[in-house]
Amino acid sequence: MKMKKLTAVLMAATMGLTIYGCGSAAPAEAPAEAPAATESEAPAAEAPAAETTEAAGPVEITVTTTFAGEDSNAQNYKDAVAGWEAATGNTVSDTSATSDETFKTRIITDFETGSEPDVLFFFNGADANDFVNAGKVVSIDDIRAEFPEYASNMNDDLIAASPADGVKYAVPVNGYWEAMFVNTKVLEDAGVAMPGADYTWDQFLADCQKIKDAGYAPIAAALGNIPHYWWEFAIYNQQTPADHLNIPGAADDATGSQWVAGLEDIKALYEAGFFPDNTLSATDDETFAMFTDDKAAFLLDGSWKVGGIVGSCQSDPDDPSTIDADKLSHFDVTYFPGKGNRKTTDLVGGLSMGYYITTKAWEDPAKKAAAVSFVEYMTSDEVVPLFAQHTASALKNAPKVDESQFNALQVKAMDMMSGVTSLTGAVQDLFNGDCRVSTFDGMPDIVVGNVSAADAVQEGIDVYNAQ
Amino acid sequence: MSNIYRNKKYVLLFLLPAFLFLVVYLYYPFLVNIYGSFRQIKNLGTYGTKWNEPFYDNYVKLVTDPVVWTSLKNTVLMILATIVGQVGIALLLSLLVDNIERGTQFFRTVYFFPIVISATALGLLFNLIFLYDKGMLNQFLELLGKTTLTDWKGEKLAIFTMMLPVVWQYVGFYFVILETGLNNISQELYESAAIDGATRFQRVIYISIPLLRNVICTCLTLGVTGALKVFDLPWTMFPKGMPLKETFLTGTYMYYQTMEAKNVDYGATLAVLIVVLGVVLSRLTRRVFKESEDF
Repeated sequence: MKMKKLTAVLMAATMGLTIYGCGSAAPAEAPAEAPAATESEAPAAEAPAAETTEAAGPVEITVTTTFAGEDSNAQNYKDAVAGWEAATGNTVSDTSATSDETFKTRIITDFETGSEPDVLFFFNGADANDFVNAGKVVSIDDIRAEFPEYASNMNDDLIAASPADGVKYAVPVNGYWEAMFVNTKVLEDAGVAMPGADYTWDQFLADCQKIKDAGYAPIAAALGNIPHYWWEFAIYNQQTPADHLNIPGAADDATGSQWVAGLEDIKALYEAGFFPDNTLSATDDETFAMFTDDKAAFLLDGSWKVGGIVGSCQSDPDDPSTIDADKLSHFDVTYFPGKGNRKTTDLVGGLSMGYYITTKAWEDPAKKAAAVSFVEYMTSDEVVPLFAQHTASALKNAPKVDESQFNALQVKAMDMMSGVTSLTGAVQDLFNGDCRVSTFDGMPDIVVGNVSAADAVQEGIDVYNAQ
Repeated sequence: MSNIYRNKKYVLLFLLPAFLFLVVYLYYPFLVNIYGSFRQIKNLGTYGTKWNEPFYDNYVKLVTDPVVWTSLKNTVLMILATIVGQVGIALLLSLLVDNIERGTQFFRTVYFFPIVISATALGLLFNLIFLYDKGMLNQFLELLGKTTLTDWKGEKLAIFTMMLPVVWQYVGFYFVILETGLNNISQELYESAAIDGATRFQRVIYISIPLLRNVICTCLTLGVTGALKVFDLPWTMFPKGMPLKETFLTGTYMYYQTMEAKNVDYGATLAVLIVVLGVVLSRLTRRVFKESEDF
């Protein structure tokens, strides 16, 4: 009898301890608090970035970036993190992921629930408004008050201010551009010349028809999955660099009408059969594979796709020495066909992302210096050029680009960029989140005629105005 | 007799942790979810800034939103596919395997295997099978002389393509349950029937199936309630209800509204709908597939 009581008590105690063990955060907090005593050593502003936290002992910081998946800089990022870890003895708990709407939601939710990372590489546009407004990231000026050298190698004029409050928070690394990649093998087979700097919309339509007649898909795009790039340029084609960033007040005002006309252009392309047959049911990966497999001619995408195309030409995507140079020579990049007052050479691009230090890390004496050190390292004069490659950077003393290190497509990208007449930000970065749902996720309904472009645009504007 | 079994304090002591766990992680969030369905919430993790106008706005939208009706229709189709495809095929297979002398264990393992593979991995696998260009199925059809590609994920075939892997994955689960039920039927009954001249088919119809009734009812209840929760495989294969929002299930539509469309309060409203639907259907299936005490 006593044994049974004893057993019951022991079981209850074990269960209680288990529950306590599950809930206790003590082990996780202990290492973070330990170096607190050395706080005075942390703000070693004059020391080289990588040595900032050496005396404070190893610290683990959590970092989230978009350098993952097919991003051209995924490997560069891994190498840079390893370099920082080796130089400081600190470690990075990395939770990077491919940039998409789910990623953005995850980041915003992390901030709302207090589980944000210590350092974040994220968009500097309206996507960041919520956590900027909530004071959950530290401004560059505030950091410089304690660490005067922070981002001092950057040209401040090129660091974008937050649209939420006009303050600068994110230290940029590499810029981006959006342009039209071309499969020249498909073009040759269809008897179409490589488009140049004076390529017009009408020429584009005529070429698409020739390519379609030759049995190829003219445009590799998954309208049901990633219509973003077509959305941006189709609207831009109704505008000029001066007014592209305007947000319409209504679907029937001047800007609203331009947006509607842009979406109608995409609908016309769909109706002409210039997108792949399965454009509404395909994923972006599938249509990208069509492009790299010589089954589609044009791919509208960003500078980060250079790495993806080059990777598709390597037998081992992680080993540049396995590249098939002949296959890579089939790819080129050019400007999006111009229409109206937009010159063909007016592109979308800029410095839309950067490193944020969160208030949570800033207020943690153990992590503050490590977070600063990490961002300083990742935005140093040595690391930034590795990421920037054929795109822009905000460095004051950007080193001359050594094209001998570039592959054929990167060289073509450099040539294309040398002819750019203007680089304008993406208006979708200002018209963010749920405002875009009716025209992004609703794109299939627009092109098949279930919803009119005007109604879809108005729905998005209503959401925008409600915010 | 020991006091430990009479004293209710100990029973309560052991029940309390599970009860508290459910209150904290299920009932409280559900109540918060109902509250959230009346608020304007842009981001997860917040209660929103203000009430909807009118506060029941999301529930009006729920009734008028055509995608909700599409997702409900697809969910009903999924339930039917579960009943016919999962439990039906599992019953057929278990009866067949029950009538073979050797290899029962082999078939159990083979049919059960898909259950242990993650639904996301299966989704990626079936994505390759149904791929438009160079997909396994289209390559087979090409070998058979078909000259055009079939868009298995296009508007016409999307629902079929979505349900096939889900059905396939869970057949083994019900197969094992039904096979265990068949093993519990006394061999003496079959032997008596055989002596009386009953054929194998008659033994299945008049002995196996009637004596399996309760197990079949349990499988159907599990299947119907399980069909309401199917999420990962359809989402992996048909994100955002592609194409044209035709493949949404109630679960995937709720996730889409919450995580992709950032309409968190409407996602909460859809979650309420799913819970109500789950409660109603589970009560209904319990009533329809009521277990008999005669067996």
